Amino acid sequence: MSKEQKKKTVDYGHYVPIPLPEGGEEGVAVLEAGRSLSLLHVVGMTPGDLPRRFVLREGASLEVSVFSFPGTSAPLPFEIDLAGEGAQVTLCGLCLCKGEDKVVVNTSVRHLSPCCQSQQNFYTIASGHSDVAFNGRIVVAPDAQKTEAYQTNRNILLSEDATIGSTPQLEIYADDVKCSHGATAGSLDEEAQFYMRSRGIPLLEAKVLQMLSFASPSLSLIRDEEKREELSGMIEKAIRDLQ
Amino acid sequence: MAKDILLDIRSLRAGIEDKEILHGIDLQVHRGEVHAVMGPNGAGKSTLSSVLTGKPLYEVTEGSITFNGKDLLQMSPEERAWEGIFMSFQYPVEIPGVSITNFMKTALNSARKARGEEPLKAGAFLSLMKEKMALVGMKSEFSKREVNVGFSGGEKKRNEIFQMAMLDPTLAILDETDSGLDVDALKIVADGVNTLRSPEKSSIIITHYKKLLEYVHPDVVHILKNGRIACTGGFELVDMVEEKGFDVFS
Repeated sequence: MSKEQKKKTVDYGHYVPIPLPEGGEEGVAVLEAGRSLSLLHVVGMTPGDLPRRFVLREGASLEVSVFSFPGTSAPLPFEIDLAGEGAQVTLCGLCLCKGEDKVVVNTSVRHLSPCCQSQQNFYTIASGHSDVAFNGRIVVAPDAQKTEAYQTNRNILLSEDATIGSTPQLEIYADDVKCSHGATAGSLDEEAQFYMRSRGIPLLEAKVLQMLSFASPSLSLIRDEEKREELSGMIEKAIRDLQ
Repeated sequence: MAKDILLDIRSLRAGIEDKEILHGIDLQVHRGEVHAVMGPNGAGKSTLSSVLTGKPLYEVTEGSITFNGKDLLQMSPEERAWEGIFMSFQYPVEIPGVSITNFMKTALNSARKARGEEPLKAGAFLSLMKEKMALVGMKSEFSKREVNVGFSGGEKKRNEIFQMAMLDPTLAILDETDSGLDVDALKIVADGVNTLRSPEKSSIIITHYKKLLEYVHPDVVHILKNGRIACTGGFELVDMVEEKGFDVFS
């Protein structure tokens, strides 16, 4: 990769400033009824901060993709209020950590109205002495019937000194809901590694392919082909850097 | 003049986690030969293929394996592949997020790199893919699919034969590739092996059944039982297994 390419950053093209309702607090973004918004945030590269809290009105839809590359330490808080009926949110995150990186993802998704949907997918690969925590909270209010709330947190540990913590927290006060959460933590699958090696792919390259494969769902919300390519390139470079 | 020995297994004792499974195997495969290894469950067939391909956790405690004049046991699995060994897996592994194209390109170019060759040009690679996909009756969209993800049993085995054709090995090991295949898929596997057949190349077909062997017609048949070669002969052994089972061999 040339030097010029290395400097390239992902722009904030998807971000549309949202007018806050009167009396709205700073750092709170409100998606009015029927609005949809797709955000891409690369920690340390995308200028500015993400709103610390999103409020979604009736039928509003929000997608947030967040990427944290090696060499970054940051808290990543997400507070989402699904305040209007039928609102939807998808949060997708990839954290690639090495050295002394410390990343804390705190999500709090509150289903306050009926028929809302939320999906959280967070992926981490941790090497070195890095420390990653995922605290995922889902609250379903008593009135929020027909809620669908899903959460997955998948983690790969590349070193014995890296730490991964995963704490799902579900508070469900309604009775007609579909909720699930799942967390996995492990190392790279050796069966798949052997399969690739038996085809002549060297161990290091096999591990890179496995990690790229693991990370690929984190790009699921990035529909813009060019942006996707660019992020894929950054992910591959970062993954090679983790070894 | 006697043909060259491609694979020479001498007094091989091997196993997994301190449990010896192969209790002294001697087996020589000459160039150009197709060998069949038949045996009941638990005979050590898969251990033999695992040891040949260098699967981690399998341990060789005694004996030697020479391939192409080189000490095979000193090589990593990828080095064995570069040297020309290929195994068609009994249970091919799914690799989500990696396309068949990308997988094959990485595999082929890794071997080329190891031999000090330039990576294959995009055009040449694509026409090779096309040619080999046609050989196993795969449609072009197959190349875009993720390796083995959502494949039926037959598709997985066809993908193995496709990879074999792409990598053009000197020694192909088919580890129960015929299990669970219908007649059409079986013919594709057999065609793959027959196409590869040349005076320079050899295959070892590990199987329970006669069917595949009828299409491929091995030169030599071994009966593996309780970790030992119980009998070596020609096609008549296949018929014997079919009629009387493995009990007649001791």
